[in-house]
Amino acid sequence: MEKETYISKETLHSEPSPFCHSEPSFSHSEPSICHSEPKAKNLLLELNKIAEFVKEKYNTHIWFVEIMGKRHSYIAGHKEDSFLPPELIYINDRYAAVSNEWERITEKDEIISTIKMLLSKETIP
Amino acid sequence: MKAVLAKEEKNWINSVIKEEEIEKYMEDGRDFINDEEIWEKLKQNQNPEPSRIWDILQKSLSIETLLPDETAALLNLKDPELWQEVFDVAAKVKKKVYDNRIVTFAPLYCGNLCVNNCVYCGFRRDNHVIKRKVLTLEEVKREAEVLAGEIGHKRLIVVYGEHPATGAHYIRDTIETIYSVKVMTKNGYGQIRRVNVNAAPMSIDELKMLKEVGIGTYQVFQETYHHDTYAKLHPKGTIKHHYQWRLYCHHRALEAGVDDVALGVLFGLYDWRFEVMGLLYHARELEKRFGIGPHTISFPRLEPAANTPFVQETRYKVSDEDFKKIIAVIRLSVPYTGMILTAREPAHIRREIIASGMITQTDASTKIGIGAYSDRYTEQELERQQFEIGDSRSLDEVIRELAEMGFITSFCTAGYRCGRTGDRIMSLLKSGKEAIFCKLNAVLTFREWLDDFASEQTKEAGEKVIQKELDELKAKVPHKVYNKLIEYYGRIKNGERDIYF
Repeated sequence: MEKETYISKETLHSEPSPFCHSEPSFSHSEPSICHSEPKAKNLLLELNKIAEFVKEKYNTHIWFVEIMGKRHSYIAGHKEDSFLPPELIYINDRYAAVSNEWERITEKDEIISTIKMLLSKETIP
Repeated sequence: MKAVLAKEEKNWINSVIKEEEIEKYMEDGRDFINDEEIWEKLKQNQNPEPSRIWDILQKSLSIETLLPDETAALLNLKDPELWQEVFDVAAKVKKKVYDNRIVTFAPLYCGNLCVNNCVYCGFRRDNHVIKRKVLTLEEVKREAEVLAGEIGHKRLIVVYGEHPATGAHYIRDTIETIYSVKVMTKNGYGQIRRVNVNAAPMSIDELKMLKEVGIGTYQVFQETYHHDTYAKLHPKGTIKHHYQWRLYCHHRALEAGVDDVALGVLFGLYDWRFEVMGLLYHARELEKRFGIGPHTISFPRLEPAANTPFVQETRYKVSDEDFKKIIAVIRLSVPYTGMILTAREPAHIRREIIASGMITQTDASTKIGIGAYSDRYTEQELERQQFEIGDSRSLDEVIRELAEMGFITSFCTAGYRCGRTGDRIMSLLKSGKEAIFCKLNAVLTFREWLDDFASEQTKEAGEKVIQKELDELKAKVPHKVYNKLIEYYGRIKNGERDIYF
């Protein structure tokens, strides 16, 4: 069973996870994915920011899909691909994060937790 | 003889069209097909200079959608040598975007009840010679079991007439039924992994419902883009008479989140040059509005149908020579799109077109009678069919022929199950990167099919193609990717199924 890695809002505000502050891509001029209260309309933007963070730090692509039966429709994230088999991590019944190289992303658990938190708060517009 | 509509059919007809789901897409009360403008473009671009044609071909090779003036110039070509250039570059474009794989599928007709009365269609309401039937879900399941378990198809296009008995709820239920089928095969199991739908235009809410059950591509053909011809062939008082309800159904699908949509024209209803321009305008409109162009384009030619004299009478019949030109110009005009050549066409035409390297998908073991797969019809029965098919060869025969031509048959349905959809697939197609996935997944799915369904003769031809593809991939992809391919290939040989890149 997949390990649950939710980070509570309190934890995020008092002890932010390392990945929130370790990268310049999440500059103070832009709302951090960890510290903002994302509105539904900004959710795709937030997911794109996570993808950019992963690309910049790990040189790895991730993208996000909406699940409808067999169909997994792209909603946000990278459009590039490394040609390795896609591996899905289910965020909930409706959404999944996909990458070809999760093993390169050492902060995978924290990233997935953040995405889970984002998606538990909002629905895709 | 006129068929009389039941009261409930009349009520249903009146409830289908939602004007507000048309008007919101129109600009200044007009749709995006301007007949006069199309004719003007065709007129203005007569006798194009060869240098201009070469520039246009280069643009197609960089996988850019052409402008209407550019497509019009190609359509006006006269010089046979330049046409040969066009065919050659069209093949190069296809190879660049999709490599040398051909995807196969089968049509599954679920019902032939229809409230419309299109003069060219065997299933039109007033055609009394047609034996009407709608499959029960149990019958749909039996059809899918034959297709997935005996023939080896992984991808279907499911076809429905426009009728309350085969409305959106029925379509939803049939999709779910088909996806639920799992049949043991010689070395693994068979399943339909992608259900594409060819059905009448629907509302946004209905399309959302189909999205929920995992619809593959939503395919609706405009039939003809020419307004007056459209109005004449689709009689007043029918749903299909409404040109814009049909024209904007892909907009509604994309708005509903169904991000793979397919276009088509029924060639033979109006001037073929005009229709190709119509397809281009439609593709450009979808790109402009949604950033997503057509997943596929189809180009069926009108075929004989039971008690349908229009087919013999039309003055717009497309010759074999022009048919090839149509395919080449579509290939170049919308270079990223998949292109479907169906078994409507006779075997010798399919052979020639496929060999020219321009198309990406074809069907085989095709039966279009209602219930024809599980009833095991061996002959065509026109009174059960929408039209007469031209090539009834088995999937095994078609695959063997493709292999002998050097093409690999692909049963890949990976893309829409891992987010290679919508504008992401567009980006991969336009950059030529999707061709790598096509090749990798073609090898894996062809291996599955050869092990589960191929005759000895076809297997022999297929093994040679697979070896050639593996050699090419070894030279083409990073070691890590190739090693993963070999690992997956071994697992499939050991009976594992449905693993993909």
